[in-house]
Amino acid sequence: MVMSVNRRSLIAGAAALPFLRMPGARAATPGVLTFGLSAPPAAIQPWANNGTAAATIKLMIHRGLVSFDPAGNLRGELAESWTREGDHAWVFKLRDAKFQNGEKVTSADVKWTIEQIAAEKSTAYFRNEMQQIEKVETPDDLTVRFVTKKPLATLPIWMASYHLPICSRNSAKGTFVGAGPFVLKEQERGVSIDLEAFPGYYKKGLPKLKGIRVIAYADENLRVAALQSGDIDLIEYVPWQAMTAISDNPKLKLDAVEGAFMFLVFNGSKPPFNDPRVRRAVGHAIKRDELVKAAFFGRGAALEHLPIADSSAFFNPEFKNGWAYDPAMSKKLLAEAGFASGITCSLLSTAQYGMHKDTAEVVQQHIAAVGINVTLNLPDWATRVAIGNRGQYDMAVMGTAADSNDPDGIAALIDGSLSPSYVRSFGVKTEKITELLAAGRAELDDAKRKAIYRDLEKVAIEEAPLVGLTWRSQGYGMRKGVTGFQNMPGALTFYSGLTFETASVD
Amino acid sequence: MLGFAARRLAASLVLVWVVASLVFLVIHLIPGDPAELLLSQGGVAPDPASVADLRAHLGLDRPLGAQYLTYLNGLLHFDFGTSLQDEHPVAEDIVLRLPRTLELVGVAGLLAVVIGLPLGVMAALRSGQLVDRILSNLAGLALSVPVFVVGTLLVLVLAQKLHWVPAGGFVALSVNPLRHFGLLMMPAGTIALGLAAVVFRVTRGAALEVLERDHVRAAQARGASPAVIIRRHVVRNAATSVITVVGLHLGALLGGTVLVEYVFNWPGLSGYLVLAVEARDYPAVLAIVLVISALFVLLNLIVELLYGVIDPRVRRA
Repeated sequence: MVMSVNRRSLIAGAAALPFLRMPGARAATPGVLTFGLSAPPAAIQPWANNGTAAATIKLMIHRGLVSFDPAGNLRGELAESWTREGDHAWVFKLRDAKFQNGEKVTSADVKWTIEQIAAEKSTAYFRNEMQQIEKVETPDDLTVRFVTKKPLATLPIWMASYHLPICSRNSAKGTFVGAGPFVLKEQERGVSIDLEAFPGYYKKGLPKLKGIRVIAYADENLRVAALQSGDIDLIEYVPWQAMTAISDNPKLKLDAVEGAFMFLVFNGSKPPFNDPRVRRAVGHAIKRDELVKAAFFGRGAALEHLPIADSSAFFNPEFKNGWAYDPAMSKKLLAEAGFASGITCSLLSTAQYGMHKDTAEVVQQHIAAVGINVTLNLPDWATRVAIGNRGQYDMAVMGTAADSNDPDGIAALIDGSLSPSYVRSFGVKTEKITELLAAGRAELDDAKRKAIYRDLEKVAIEEAPLVGLTWRSQGYGMRKGVTGFQNMPGALTFYSGLTFETASVD
Repeated sequence: MLGFAARRLAASLVLVWVVASLVFLVIHLIPGDPAELLLSQGGVAPDPASVADLRAHLGLDRPLGAQYLTYLNGLLHFDFGTSLQDEHPVAEDIVLRLPRTLELVGVAGLLAVVIGLPLGVMAALRSGQLVDRILSNLAGLALSVPVFVVGTLLVLVLAQKLHWVPAGGFVALSVNPLRHFGLLMMPAGTIALGLAAVVFRVTRGAALEVLERDHVRAAQARGASPAVIIRRHVVRNAATSVITVVGLHLGALLGGTVLVEYVFNWPGLSGYLVLAVEARDYPAVLAIVLVISALFVLLNLIVELLYGVIDPRVRRA
């Protein structure tokens, strides 16, 4: 048979090309999960804070001494147990585990890791905290003894942070060999990352997946479209407007928790927000339910107290409605502070992220009703961070998750004695809060700690170093064929990457 | 001719230097500190000592003049520096991403000509008739719909509803050619739609003008076939205008495919530029803008030199 190709059929064939059904971007390899990340990680450095996208990748590659189980409780990782020795020491017993270069994880590696983090020129997130460790002792290969300068109740929680993984001391310069379930195989910066299972992972039978292909989808709509069209298996940061569509889709499932939260910070270095009564007046002027509906499509909850979840042992029901909507109270507080005729000021947020912009717009409307008229300042995120750090604002919208479910996890947001930062109010210093935070960190008795944080919240409601707005739902969307992956509870939602080790895909 | 070329080349180099210097100044003037940003992602407070150390490590604590001289010195040695985010050489990323943007823009240009040129000629030949009116209105519509609307609609219909194509992304040609072109068609088609409307209008206008000329009427009177008239006279004359317009648009598209690259997750140079600006990654921003402007200047230089070849009077101007 002779086949002839003429010009017309060639053109017709070429014209039909776009309409041929193309195979999806989904990896064809069985056992490999394709994960749609919300942003390309800026860099993947084990001890620096490069954002939650990088943290998720770190949780695939690395493990620390301790981590969290799916219920949010501390569990051993490279350490199989830990105990307190007197008031100034913690002892961690290591298990038999291997790094991805085949070497055994030893106490020397732990000591080396802590030394790198605490080093003078280190840019590690926990550099300051590690200064509180006087010395790291290694009595044998599998025992590490941390001697602290003062009692330190929060040390095991710090050790569970994704910014504190243990790396091999024999890592080549500029590389950091981890002991996690997946090995970084290949990456194209800003585009995709390929990881494969580490066969020597210390948990028998894990990871279940053969590998993970991570693709960054910065556009949230495309991320959802890619999941709905079957290109990928799992996505993070499900946009709130798409949550119903995903949970209603018979092929998909949604796993959402109220983990992160939105709040307001203030410039306390000048009037009017140097007066706590004015800060509280703002808190009492906002209708949170409307805010949740307008900014988060109803996917969240009111936050009228410090961001300590009601599931936490440290939740104080008596302060649950500490900054509840009460316009009469708001006006009364303004009058007491000498602003009965109202206030005109600016509200800083960013146009780069919808949730920040929408929140600012709703807050602007609500507080106008009690006489606080704000002009919105909505620069890009980088500018917003710079302005925030320098205190060039009156009031600002902020959103984040706590470092952990422990109340010390919000210390960075309310401790005014710390250096100026866009995440906390500028120049709002309350000595009592700083003292209580330090006391909570040093107290080793649970009941006494609970009492300390109750006192702290009482002071915070009065002083309003921040004003809570809403909890916001943080969701993962996935195909029904994905099992074993779980959204971690509360503030630990960004630790969900830990559960990739138990995830499987059909 | 050589003198003319040398003068133009020198002017182009000066232009590139001016662009490089302006961008350097502007990016350093806008607020935002790369070290601070890098250490405060995810809504956490960085330690000021760490920020200061990182600034020193990255050389950002040096006076701006000194940084500028280092930058120019690097350029003279074709060294674009390393990313402030992870110290990866910027040149490697550009080499990887530039061809993707060029491919996207090139295929879009080709599609636009293949669609717009014949339709423009057809509309001119049936000027005032129903076909002309329909095509002209469609062109008006295509020109007025923003690319992100077209792109989003294509994703919704072709990927989400019909499941004909993946929703977006990129697969290298060497890995899977069929999938590569499948992923290319939606973003290229989105850009091509507006560009085809421009080509259509330019072609139609030029063709109408040519059809009125005496030599075309004479050819018609001589009994030349319509196909010959279209090929020899209409298309040939319209082609000059089309090439000029497409050339100009393609130049502008080199840095202007941001929205399309974003909507379709096409990892080209424009998307990289946006990420770099967001992170205040100075070396990356400077290098990308410089490459884009150098390409733009190069395109213009080629056009000017071609004019010089075609019309000797330009050389003496």
